[in-house]
Amino acid sequence: MSGAFVRATALASALGPELGAAAGRLFGEPGAPQTLMGWPYRAIPVEDGEWRRRAQTIARSVAADLWRSAGLPADRRTGLACLVGSSSFSIGASEVEYPALELPDAFCRTLAQTFGAGGPVLAMSSACTSGLSALQAALALVEEGDFSDVLVLGIELSNRLTVAGFAGLELLSRTRARPCDRDRDGMVLGEALGAVLVSATPAEWRVSALATGIDAASVTGPAPGGEAMAATMRSAMHRAGWRPGDVDLIKLQAAGSPLSDLAEARAVRNLFAAQPKLASLKGAIGHTLGASGPAELALLLAALARGRVPPTWGYEVYDEAIGLTPSDGAAGEVRRVLFNLSGFGGSVMTLALERAG
Amino acid sequence: MVLLAPTLMDLAPAALADEVRSRFGSELRRLGVFTQLCQLGAQACLEASATKGRIGVLLATTHGALTASRAALGDVLRSGEPAMPFAFLATQTNFAGALLASRSHDVARAACLYLGAQDWPWLLRMARSWLAECERVAVGWVEEATQGEAHRSHWCIFARQAVAPAIHCEPATAGTAATSGDWMARVAAWRNAPVAPLELRAGHQGWRFTSHPRTLDKGRAQSCA
Repeated sequence: MSGAFVRATALASALGPELGAAAGRLFGEPGAPQTLMGWPYRAIPVEDGEWRRRAQTIARSVAADLWRSAGLPADRRTGLACLVGSSSFSIGASEVEYPALELPDAFCRTLAQTFGAGGPVLAMSSACTSGLSALQAALALVEEGDFSDVLVLGIELSNRLTVAGFAGLELLSRTRARPCDRDRDGMVLGEALGAVLVSATPAEWRVSALATGIDAASVTGPAPGGEAMAATMRSAMHRAGWRPGDVDLIKLQAAGSPLSDLAEARAVRNLFAAQPKLASLKGAIGHTLGASGPAELALLLAALARGRVPPTWGYEVYDEAIGLTPSDGAAGEVRRVLFNLSGFGGSVMTLALERAG
Repeated sequence: MVLLAPTLMDLAPAALADEVRSRFGSELRRLGVFTQLCQLGAQACLEASATKGRIGVLLATTHGALTASRAALGDVLRSGEPAMPFAFLATQTNFAGALLASRSHDVARAACLYLGAQDWPWLLRMARSWLAECERVAVGWVEEATQGEAHRSHWCIFARQAVAPAIHCEPATAGTAATSGDWMARVAAWRNAPVAPLELRAGHQGWRFTSHPRTLDKGRAQSCA
């Protein structure tokens, strides 16, 4: 079991630039996505001119939100390590400045400065699991005793290259994301900047384990049986000292993809004789790719703080092949959570979280 | 932690296709230049290390898939249309783990770090942390050629077990300044004549490299342990 805790979180997403209000909107009426290049897209509702200026505005907002709740004095941020996960970094700025391309390391240093994090900065990418890869590195720094707190950021901001790439791969829905739904027809991408302060200081949620795997079936999708996802969930439970019956909630990777949702569902059904509560957040904020680890973690914990399981936006019709029914947002106590992510390059990760109190 | 099989691959861009055919028996046409370089270097290093066991793949770069990113971005900006699938996939830097796994390596995890010139000590630090769960960690430094230079794909293996002719690695605070782009080449060059431990640093972080006791005299090796 890890000795690291989630001390504070913050998030800017399609649900808004402030986490508390976003959690409230998650339980409200599902809104329709905006569009980018003619494709549905879950954009952060912040208008502030050109890409870099808007990115700064979003980052300042998330930083202010984070430090309001973190209880970490400004003088302890001077040596704070900042690990950033992304799949696109500042490629959106490069669309304006082309052919100049900013180095990811440089972009992440600017981002860390905005958060007042004056320690080492590392930029990491493992596609859609980038943010959890950064979280994994942060856990090691805290557990090895090198740092008492580490800031983890996951960032994915508007850019045409990513939308064009996913459209070219025929992975996008023309309408909206319907995770686990019978009529799901693809994912909807989204923007997010998620922040998680990992700490040795006890807090409400402990990171009990983080398991990783590689699905070698394809660089763009899982094996149909979901074996790699099942293995990482099993490994996370083993490391946390849990049995399947101990798990109250699984935060699914499910993005509304016909095949990937099915593979994850098979993994869940193979491991759990009785279905735990299930939720996918990608219907609400879109698939935020490299940001999805910190972003969905922040939103999930904010939703659970309201004593309710997050609803799965876009899920309406039961699919016999999937065989799972996600939460409708009902009240329920949740103490142990498995948090799944997977992505391009075959990366599969499961985070095990437990209420520490 | 020990370092094994430092493998330096510096390739003229025109030689890449032949090198790929020679090692893999065919072209890797659907992969971009960056991923081809990763595959070439990592596979060569793994073969040279003659090690087995679960592996983590930790590659680092400053620029990433620069050529493919610029090309794909240019296409999208010109056309406004969906990108060609393989043109987009070539912009991704983290496929090495899955591709090695598809070649029967037991890969536990993989990630790409974008490092500045002074950040290389973090690579070793992360490799050490990954060894808690992996028996080996393949660490690579991969850069596409720019301005007439060669492509670079430099790799080594980190492992927990001390086996000759391994190089012991431990944190240090002093030493000769090294960069993310040259630390592995310095270790490889030193390995040919390891008279004294090699100490390299970047800023306040550094690492000391010492030959395995079976390749150094016993007294000096113990003093460096």
